[in-house]
Amino acid sequence: MSGRVQLRGVGVRFRMYREKVITLKEAVLQRFQHLKTADDFWALKAVDLDIASGESVALIGHNGSGKSTLLKLAAGVLQPTLGTVQVQGRISPMIELAAGFDPDLTGRDNVFLNGALMGYSRKQMKEKFDRIVEFSELAEFIDMPVKNYSSGMYARLGFAIAADVEPEILIIDEILAVGDEKFQAKCMERIKSIRSTGCTIIYVSHAMDSVRLLCDRVAVLHHGELVFDGAPEPAIAKYRELQNFHPAR
Amino acid sequence: MTTASLAPISALKNVYRFRELVGMLVARDLKVRYKRSVLGMLWSLLNPLLQMAVYSFVFSTIMRVGVAAYPVFLLAGLLPWTLFSASVSMAAGCLIANASLIRKVAVPQAVYPLALVGSKLVDLLLSLIPLTLIAIWFGRPPSASWLFLPIAILAVVCFSAGVSFAISSLTVFFRDIKHLVDILLQVWFYLTPVIYTYEQIDHIGNRFISFALRVNPAAPIVRCFQLCLYEGRFPDAATAAQAMLWGVGTLLAGLAVFLRAEPRHILYL
Repeated sequence: MSGRVQLRGVGVRFRMYREKVITLKEAVLQRFQHLKTADDFWALKAVDLDIASGESVALIGHNGSGKSTLLKLAAGVLQPTLGTVQVQGRISPMIELAAGFDPDLTGRDNVFLNGALMGYSRKQMKEKFDRIVEFSELAEFIDMPVKNYSSGMYARLGFAIAADVEPEILIIDEILAVGDEKFQAKCMERIKSIRSTGCTIIYVSHAMDSVRLLCDRVAVLHHGELVFDGAPEPAIAKYRELQNFHPAR
Repeated sequence: MTTASLAPISALKNVYRFRELVGMLVARDLKVRYKRSVLGMLWSLLNPLLQMAVYSFVFSTIMRVGVAAYPVFLLAGLLPWTLFSASVSMAAGCLIANASLIRKVAVPQAVYPLALVGSKLVDLLLSLIPLTLIAIWFGRPPSASWLFLPIAILAVVCFSAGVSFAISSLTVFFRDIKHLVDILLQVWFYLTPVIYTYEQIDHIGNRFISFALRVNPAAPIVRCFQLCLYEGRFPDAATAAQAMLWGVGTLLAGLAVFLRAEPRHILYL
């Protein structure tokens, strides 16, 4: 097991194009007059983060704070504009549990498609198939197109696949939040048991209770900057302070 | 998998690693395409047949092109041309259609245009069934020259994949290409001997047309199909070599364009 992620001085810049309708004439004029049509937006700024083998780290932060961008870097979907990203070990290449689902295909087809997107052969997925269906408790719906699934069923199947493919670094996003209580508890158990095998876990959530439960380290992102990295309680306090939000106990 | 170490060889290895995914994306396309249609996969057989029927009626009954067993000739050229034009036309929207996957799953993006060409290849292979029946009906049953078919198919697949790679990548940056491609494909179709023969156009003696014919990469490729399927003889070495060189050369050039731009696609999708 060697699931390490190392970010060094990472910055990610997006160009934000203004979504206003321009005529062809204006477009041509802009070309020649070098008018700026895009604003730079730094989704991540100078982030240094080391996630060591076997750690479970939660990423928290407001909407748009850069959590997904960070996951995209780790998964290899996105290259940093500045700095370096190094990943050792097999990482699930998906930043969302059900990212590879095609709504028109059946649950069964989607299990194999998702497996292939993660680099597993049909044969390997066949071995896992029964376990995945059993865990998701979707046996009677497995030959139905997933567009007819409820969002909870979607999440079940997505998690069941991700939990069975044995990555060395597991990315778990907040899709779990839509599962029912019983299934959520089942997922928590599963994540804990995966964790106990030495798998590195990166967990993204807005549910602070699950963050406390699963992670021994929490990184707080705020407008693209890593503002805190440490134990869960002070991290959650920092996050709420930055948001100026104090939930009633 | 992380920092930009995009040596072409390792990129190719990476694509090869996901070959099974390409197969599944092809299957996905076919399943979704024919879902809830009564005839299902039969449409893949019927499409070229109906197209051939229309062209045959127009060009042998009304315009009188004067080619023996015209439906066989037409179908022999129409199959590779359809593979090429359908691939390229759809390639323009290919990465955009798969944007949600590209934004969330780190697999080599080359799998998407490859799957597109793959699904058109399935169409071509299925179309060989009606082609064979029609060839027998018109007294040109399969002969030894049909053995050249795999090589001809390889050439058209390589060529289509190369152009599709380049077009799919460029369209991400310049969306206008989508509209341009369909018009250019139509012009290209009429400049390529599909509905008329190579000799007919060469004998017109127009310098521009003859020049266009010689530099048209689609001409030798389509001609390979017509020679082995319609005329019943193996293509001459020059035609075969031209078809293969254009195929492989275009594939490499298109792939190079694609791989160079790949990391930047996500920023524009």
